[in-house]
Amino acid sequence: MLTRRLLMGAGLAVPWFRAIAAGEDATNRIPDDLQGVAAASSTGDAGVSDSEFLLGMSAAFSGPSRGLGIELHRGASACFEHVNRQGGVAGRRIRIRTYDDGYQPDPAVNNTMTLMLDDRVFLLFGYVGTPTVTRVLPMLKKFQDRGTYLFFPFTGAAPQREPPYGDFAFNLRASYAQETAGLVDNFVAVGRRRIAVFYQADAYGRSGWSGVRAALARHGETIAGEATYRRGTKFTSIMRSQVEILKKVDPEAVICIGSYAACAAFARDAVDLGLQVPMANLSFVGSENLLKLLLEAHEDAEPYTRLLVNSQVVPSYEDVTIPAVREYRDLMSRYDPQAPEELVKEPYTPFPHSFVSLEGFLDAKLLVEVLRRLGDSPSRQGLEAAVFSIKDYNLGIRERVSFGPERRQGLQGVYYTVVEDGRFVTLNDWGGRFS
Amino acid sequence: MKVKKLFRKTLFGVFSLFGMIGLSTSILCVYTVDTHLSEEYVTNSRGIAKTIADASVDILLNRDLSALQSLIDQFLEIQGIRYIYITDEAGEFLAHTFVPGIPEEIRTGGPIGGAAVERHLPGMGDFVEVGSPILAGVAGAVHVGMDTSLIALKIQRAIGQQIYLISMVFVVGVFAAIWFVNLAARPMGELLAYAVALARGEGDPSKAPVLERDDEAGQLARLFLHMSDNGSAGAPAGPP
Repeated sequence: MLTRRLLMGAGLAVPWFRAIAAGEDATNRIPDDLQGVAAASSTGDAGVSDSEFLLGMSAAFSGPSRGLGIELHRGASACFEHVNRQGGVAGRRIRIRTYDDGYQPDPAVNNTMTLMLDDRVFLLFGYVGTPTVTRVLPMLKKFQDRGTYLFFPFTGAAPQREPPYGDFAFNLRASYAQETAGLVDNFVAVGRRRIAVFYQADAYGRSGWSGVRAALARHGETIAGEATYRRGTKFTSIMRSQVEILKKVDPEAVICIGSYAACAAFARDAVDLGLQVPMANLSFVGSENLLKLLLEAHEDAEPYTRLLVNSQVVPSYEDVTIPAVREYRDLMSRYDPQAPEELVKEPYTPFPHSFVSLEGFLDAKLLVEVLRRLGDSPSRQGLEAAVFSIKDYNLGIRERVSFGPERRQGLQGVYYTVVEDGRFVTLNDWGGRFS
Repeated sequence: MKVKKLFRKTLFGVFSLFGMIGLSTSILCVYTVDTHLSEEYVTNSRGIAKTIADASVDILLNRDLSALQSLIDQFLEIQGIRYIYITDEAGEFLAHTFVPGIPEEIRTGGPIGGAAVERHLPGMGDFVEVGSPILAGVAGAVHVGMDTSLIALKIQRAIGQQIYLISMVFVVGVFAAIWFVNLAARPMGELLAYAVALARGEGDPSKAPVLERDDEAGQLARLFLHMSDNGSAGAPAGPP
């Protein structure tokens, strides 16, 4: 039985092993609807033709974390739709081929194989999640001769920022290490040194846990206590066990590294069970979805939300003094982008604006600039040089974007937000709020 | 009546025989499955722990712990493995798969080297845990816990299948025994009826079908007839 399971696991790799073993020519495997894209390529590269760039995206459009994939896709779509209506990039429209992975690694791997081998996309864009991306990265290395890069995944984990896979991805957002370091530094600064961690039991949670551990070590502290939950946990789940584990260590703050449904459930149960300490969440949590769940949980949700502090990797979408935010709000309202209908099978009400869709918008905006820099004969081989040519680039937010061989992450900024009057606002005074 | 008693004894014999067969084969089955599965589990666990330990060296020295977590998460998909944890040389937990937290029994320490230990974790069950050192132990150790309840489940399943098979054979055996007993009892019944008729002087004793049989019943019937004839010939004449 054990052997069979191992063989089943290995079976995931069978399609491309089979293709390689058979000496199959990839051009023979192009679906009919994409023949035009591959065949009409002026550069010989699949995924780009004289009229189109084809991008591939695998993200969560189902399950408890579907809000992340949907919002990220909406933000990016607003930008791409606008660019396409303006004539595209050097006459080429941008189209996204999208698949749902439900925030699970195996479907993400399968989707990536389909995108690379069957759809033959020009590049991969907007993947969501650490456990998914960490499993996809080896595929990019395996097929490195194809030159398929992963652009701007929605994760702050380290594997796509460092060897051996860092060369196959470009990141825009700050890392989880930067987010957790900022949270720890600010908590310590206001005298909260006993910090516990509540995290998702997978690569994402471990990445955040690792960041908290390293940041605390710089202050001569260790993680006071830890509790975990399984990926895919819903808001209806009970977090009593986790809360009781953390209550035993009497923390002065808890840093949560999870998805919005689980983190909202934890915040709810923590308050209900008397764990009244600041609870920090990382940008990945999807702040608006988290807040929506808590606000709907009780008529008086203020006790659940007043101790929240969420780190963000993009500025507030409420700050209309920022040019990119004004553009984002304008295009979101003008085009009202929707996630692909065929992928969104569970009810979901999109937010007019959100940190996640703003990040998707900024990702798309920067990608458009990269594609522009490829010139009239775009090729995958030119992608890395195009990205590295971005120096001190004004994306429309206050921080400038730069890339280089030793700098595969465009932005470094981390922002902190708290809930006021049922919405997230920028936190400027940690001492006043949490000391 | 005698036939029924004979049948009961035969049936009792069949019951006893199948009972002994069922009991002995079940004991043998439990022993065999338990021993082999336990050995296989421990061997597989050691192999998995060593594989993770070997793969962990590069990750521990050069990469982020999320890569390590991603590695052990993949092994957790193998049936029977319920938990994996990796500690550094000081015993600090670097990656693990426990939810909602690391049990106290685990925090107190795990097996050293390739030794297997049995663990009972409240709320989780019973496990066999093996360890494998990373970089000869100077970089920590990998620990893999296999769920022993799966072994018990497989034993139950094996016994269930065996009992099912024996039950089927038993039912067939009972019907066969009834058929054979009836087959054997039929000439006895004919012989009994003949003996009664002979004693009562009913019918023609020399034309009974049982006299034609070439088995023991036929021989006995002919003997009864002979004895009956002799008895009639040698008897003193009674009063007219």
